[in-house]
Amino acid sequence: MEIKNYLFLVLFFISSILVAQEKQISGTVVDENGLPLIGVNIIVKNTSRGTQTDFDGKYDISVSSGEVLVYSFVGFSAVEKTVGQSATIDVTMNTAENLDEVVVVGFGTQSKRKVTDNIVSISSDEINDIPIPSLQGALTGKAAGVQITQINGKVEGGVKMRIRGVSTISSSQEPLYVIDGMPLINDNESVSEAPINPLISLNPNDIASIEILKDASSAAIYGARGTNGVVLITTKSGKSGKTKVSINTSTGWSKPTNKLDWLNSAQYIELLSEANANSYGPEDTYLTEEGGFFDFVSNGKDWRNLEVDTDWQDYALVDGSVQDHSISVSGGDEKTTFFVSSGYNRTEAIVRGNNLERYSIRGNLDHKISDKFRVGLNTGITKSKISRIGTDNSFSTPLQAVAQSPLSPAYLDDGVTPNNQTTIYYNFLMQEYNGNWDANIFRVLLNTYLQYQILPELSFRTEFGYDNNNQTEEYFAGSLTESVSTNGYADANAVQSDKYNISNYITYNTTYNEDYDLEVVAGMSFEESSRKRQYVAGTGFPSDDLQTVESASEITAGTSSRTKYNFLSYFGRATLSYLDKYLIKGSLRYDGSSRFGVDNRYGFFPAASAGWIISEEDFLANSSAVSLLKLRGSWGITGNAGIGNFASLGLFGGSSYNRISGLKPTQLANPELKWERTEQVDVGLDYGFANNRITGEIDYYVKTTNDLLLNEPIPGTSGFPNITRNVGSLSNKGFEFVLNTTNVRTDDITWKTSINLATLDNKVKDLPGGDIVVGRNIVREGETISSFYVVEYAGVDPDNGDALFYTNTLNADGSRDRSTTSNYADATRVIKGSPYPEFMGGFTSNLNAFNFDFSFTFQGEFGASLYNEGGKFQSGNMRYEDNQTVDQLARWQNPGDITNVPQARLYSTNGQQASTRYLEKSDFVRLRNMTIGYTIPLDVTKKFHVDRLRVYLTGLNLLTFTDYSGYDPESTYDNNGDSNIQRGITFYSAPPAKTFTVGLNIDL
Amino acid sequence: MRKLTYYTILSLLTLSLGSCDDNLNIEPEQNLSPDVATSNPSNIRNIVNNIYGEARDNDSYGGGIAMAADLLGDDGKISWNGTYTQPAEYEEKAIISDNVYVEDIWMNAYEINNQANIVLANLDVFEDADQRDLTEGEAKFLRALAYFDLVRLYAKPYEAGQTNSQLAVPIVLEPVLDATTVSKPPRNTAEEVYIQVLNDLSDAYNLLPESNDVYADKYTARALQARVYLQMGDYINARDAANEVIGDSPFTLTSDFASAFNNDGNSTEDIFAWQVTSQDVSINSFNEFWAGQDFGGRPGNPDISINEEHFAIYDDPNDERGMFFYDTARLIATTKWQSQFANIPFIRLSEMYLIRAESNFRLDTEIGATPKDDINRLRDRAKADTFDSVDLDTILMERQRELSFEGIALFDAKRLKRNVGDIPYNANRLVLPVPLREMDANTNLEQNPGY
Repeated sequence: MEIKNYLFLVLFFISSILVAQEKQISGTVVDENGLPLIGVNIIVKNTSRGTQTDFDGKYDISVSSGEVLVYSFVGFSAVEKTVGQSATIDVTMNTAENLDEVVVVGFGTQSKRKVTDNIVSISSDEINDIPIPSLQGALTGKAAGVQITQINGKVEGGVKMRIRGVSTISSSQEPLYVIDGMPLINDNESVSEAPINPLISLNPNDIASIEILKDASSAAIYGARGTNGVVLITTKSGKSGKTKVSINTSTGWSKPTNKLDWLNSAQYIELLSEANANSYGPEDTYLTEEGGFFDFVSNGKDWRNLEVDTDWQDYALVDGSVQDHSISVSGGDEKTTFFVSSGYNRTEAIVRGNNLERYSIRGNLDHKISDKFRVGLNTGITKSKISRIGTDNSFSTPLQAVAQSPLSPAYLDDGVTPNNQTTIYYNFLMQEYNGNWDANIFRVLLNTYLQYQILPELSFRTEFGYDNNNQTEEYFAGSLTESVSTNGYADANAVQSDKYNISNYITYNTTYNEDYDLEVVAGMSFEESSRKRQYVAGTGFPSDDLQTVESASEITAGTSSRTKYNFLSYFGRATLSYLDKYLIKGSLRYDGSSRFGVDNRYGFFPAASAGWIISEEDFLANSSAVSLLKLRGSWGITGNAGIGNFASLGLFGGSSYNRISGLKPTQLANPELKWERTEQVDVGLDYGFANNRITGEIDYYVKTTNDLLLNEPIPGTSGFPNITRNVGSLSNKGFEFVLNTTNVRTDDITWKTSINLATLDNKVKDLPGGDIVVGRNIVREGETISSFYVVEYAGVDPDNGDALFYTNTLNADGSRDRSTTSNYADATRVIKGSPYPEFMGGFTSNLNAFNFDFSFTFQGEFGASLYNEGGKFQSGNMRYEDNQTVDQLARWQNPGDITNVPQARLYSTNGQQASTRYLEKSDFVRLRNMTIGYTIPLDVTKKFHVDRLRVYLTGLNLLTFTDYSGYDPESTYDNNGDSNIQRGITFYSAPPAKTFTVGLNIDL
Repeated sequence: MRKLTYYTILSLLTLSLGSCDDNLNIEPEQNLSPDVATSNPSNIRNIVNNIYGEARDNDSYGGGIAMAADLLGDDGKISWNGTYTQPAEYEEKAIISDNVYVEDIWMNAYEINNQANIVLANLDVFEDADQRDLTEGEAKFLRALAYFDLVRLYAKPYEAGQTNSQLAVPIVLEPVLDATTVSKPPRNTAEEVYIQVLNDLSDAYNLLPESNDVYADKYTARALQARVYLQMGDYINARDAANEVIGDSPFTLTSDFASAFNNDGNSTEDIFAWQVTSQDVSINSFNEFWAGQDFGGRPGNPDISINEEHFAIYDDPNDERGMFFYDTARLIATTKWQSQFANIPFIRLSEMYLIRAESNFRLDTEIGATPKDDINRLRDRAKADTFDSVDLDTILMERQRELSFEGIALFDAKRLKRNVGDIPYNANRLVLPVPLREMDANTNLEQNPGY
């Protein structure tokens, strides 16, 4: 016994020591069908050690007995296995139907199942390959309650993202965009009134996922900036394992979604002659005499025989194109992972002369220095060049060409020089012939972090982010353009914005008694933004070929300025779950900013939410029909700090008269100015049936904003038009409904659909100081913000062709006087509709059959209206000589005619005044995007060492169904781009593009 | 180990959560606070300079007021060809109360008023008595100017010999620099406003020096007094004021009519002109609307064109004033506003001759010169044949020949009780409405009849 036993004993000891120390574990991970899963993440719990499965689903890893291995993979439920005696651990993973996915919340992540807030998560598959250069455009129709509207068809134009309605009047209505934990610069730096979307310089192909924090409880962790919602953008990162090379290339063509019908030469002559005769008598020869108007505009061509019939709209709205190419390399090992990508996008707009070219490069790196320390660096650099065109309200914008007479030739006889001598208005073609306008944007985004795992339960993370946005615009208009009187004009505008952000926070994770899971996050963050601007303009150029201000003979304007603002915040959050059934979360943020008066510099923003996973209860746990039922509710207070940097101070600024300096009072002081506070309550139900083949959410929310910062109009006799005060309140309420179904799931075919619907009821609750009216929009207590406030059109008097309006005077009993009058001054304005939809929806379908994939998204918006401010010129029964839309041919001509178009009277107002004649409902349903793809079978491509080769066709805005008779419900006036109150106005605005692209995905 | 961890955490937290509170105090770099802005003489002088700039703004004396007066007072001699609807409302005499041009005239006038009040409330910073007087004089001159045009535009015509209790505009004499001093004043009567104007001008006349570079001086105040008295029908005072300016001031008529206009600097006959330079941010509205496209005007080419009917007022084909026009591709434009960056003549010496002539004629006096001599002096300068005798109609016709398109049409019609076309001189339509935004913001205001 002795030696043998002793040897056995030694062996036993040795083996037990080995067991207590590291040993190699290997295994295979498969899905519920037995197919190997490639790239599954395997992590040793509470450490940073891990690995991934290979192409056969196999892995091996060094672990110690008793350690827990966590297997996770996108779209599948996570599995945990404790390391025991066996050296092999095989795992089967089941499809998770999105519920066990990990969702990014502010300063951390959470399992979707345990989330008690309202957060929408959109992955890169849903946004990649959509041929639109801005990232917001790719999200349209994919999230309930999130309205994303392109301003109009110009390629750099702003995109408005409104999450759960509009919660402010004077402060910014933009959500907070955060990339990899760092808030982004989101300021429009356009030198003209038409905005440039600041996020146009982000490459959507670098994005791994986007989370939209919609309710207060999720957004409150961003406290003072959370009222309009928060959009968290996470860029792609590498995974350990084989290096993956990914190439995506696509090219495509665009057309405008819609063109309108304008009068041709014959119709133009007919209508204008009639209008002239009606005003000045049939004998008047102003139009037809030699050298008269017709001779003039046709530049001597034979207008009587319709020699010239210019389709000006065709010069303005052209075919566009899109090219997008990107390549990325990612990979790594257990210690280091990396993601490097570069991209190129060139988009030619469907408006002549407008295009965008963007180069981007990104490098993301993560490195585990040791078990305890982890460090990372994400960098993105983009360089964009945009060729710009005039704002909608300038004569140089292409769309205003529709006002030109079809009798005017677009070019002179040489065919090259635009005809600017005999056109009614400035010929926009001269801008490209004799001028140019470029914006160059250079942007650097940097995030770096250091994470220190102090204890298994406690980690500390410090982050530093830097965003630098450098934009230069250069404009030149030569001696043949509108700047003829000064012999040319040039200007240059340079803006440098800088933002840096430091966050430090600790995260504490622990489990008590196996039943309680607690996570606590606490930390601080400091952010400072600065902006510098330089501008110079000059006139008097010796030659049109010298186009920079250096050649100007006189410098007519110049300015430079600088400003900055900052935020200091402290925050904390605790999340507790009991038995994985009862969930509760609370957070608190204390924010201070330089923007507010000394008296009210800081604000407290608390939030709380709770959830009950009913389906985990005994009475439902074993139900096969109900797989998930989670009831949740949240409450929170967020703020809005989107006001000017010095809004509470009384200010005098510099001015000049007679080349001598002056001082001018510019702002009235209000030291009591404070944050706008929004309180939001959300109640929701997450459900899942039939083993999560049917899942979804139902939510109801009420969002009330108090202490609205309003530029309250004050009597002009005080010398100021308004003062900024915290007065008034407004509310947004609505339902959101999401339904996701897996309709078919077999080995070869999967078909999923997803519907999201949202209602929005926006009302101004309190507005001391009464109505605020700006143009056609009104802010009035009891009504939706920016409702339309116009006189009501009543058609045409059949006896004489006069335009009629409803007087609508308010009677003593509250009813309206519905008699009609032809005297516009006797008619009262009334509220008729609003620019915000009351109901929105999106429908997405994803079909994968054999190697084909087919998906599409429909979006619809109902209840909004648009007012055509250009209607009085475009469809004004020939009050001016502007070309008209063909519907004006239905004008009243003889007594007894019943029509809605008044008699044509040149230079005499008859129905062109602001009224509901130019207000229309803009309900629409659009096939937003559709993709068909084919992936060449793996066994074929593997011969060429290609993991995936997919060919696809994709289209954007392919079909639009609407009764709206203007260009498009998404073509609005860009001069109002930044205005908060003036919404829903269109004025010679370009429609968006309908784009069709062909592309290739190659993964090596 | 526990203790070390604890200390590590504590120090990390302290380091990272440390206070950066001081950083939250950021001062604006392009602005001054009101206290600093009113704290020394040089800053007050800068504010005064800015008031001139406000007045020269295209909403007011850079073209806005003159355009309202000329289009509203027009009986077919000019046409509006532009795309803007607000001047079209002037021409059609069908103004809607939310007309932004009407609003801008009101708002800008009160900006001038408030800034003048700020200056007048802070005169104690001056140690130099001359500087103090100069400043007070300029502020009062500019304030009087603002109220004068407000009462001429927003109230029914002043009738000499009546009590003139028709509502005009609120008179506000206290400065507003913060929220607590904002008030909602009711409208004062036309009589009260004219008294305020005359008081301010009289003070200005006493305080201003005889010359002040291109800024307001004693003669500017006197010349404006002449204009005010003429509008009020007080011919005695009008005559005497005009006479003093003609006799004592250094101004002389230019040698030909064209030289009085389109000058980069002041001409010899500019008693006061608004300075315009190519550096001005605000467009010169006279040029924008009256000049052809080749000269900086808008696409109406020009927006305000001259009709054939106008030329009927010139009796002598050699009259330079009747030829001071040019053709654009389609229409006829006045040459008075051709140059984009020329100074804007505001009170010319020729107006003083006309006032003296008319007043002398009506009073049957010959102070300074006979009416015939005064008229002939102007006709001589314009190379027109002189008259052997003049009557009231001739004098009034000479006013049109000399001063057309300089913003007198409506004001002359009202004081002479002449109809504009077939619209009575005291019609509701010829008075600007109190701007709708003002009615909405100040419940103590009463709107003008007809709006």
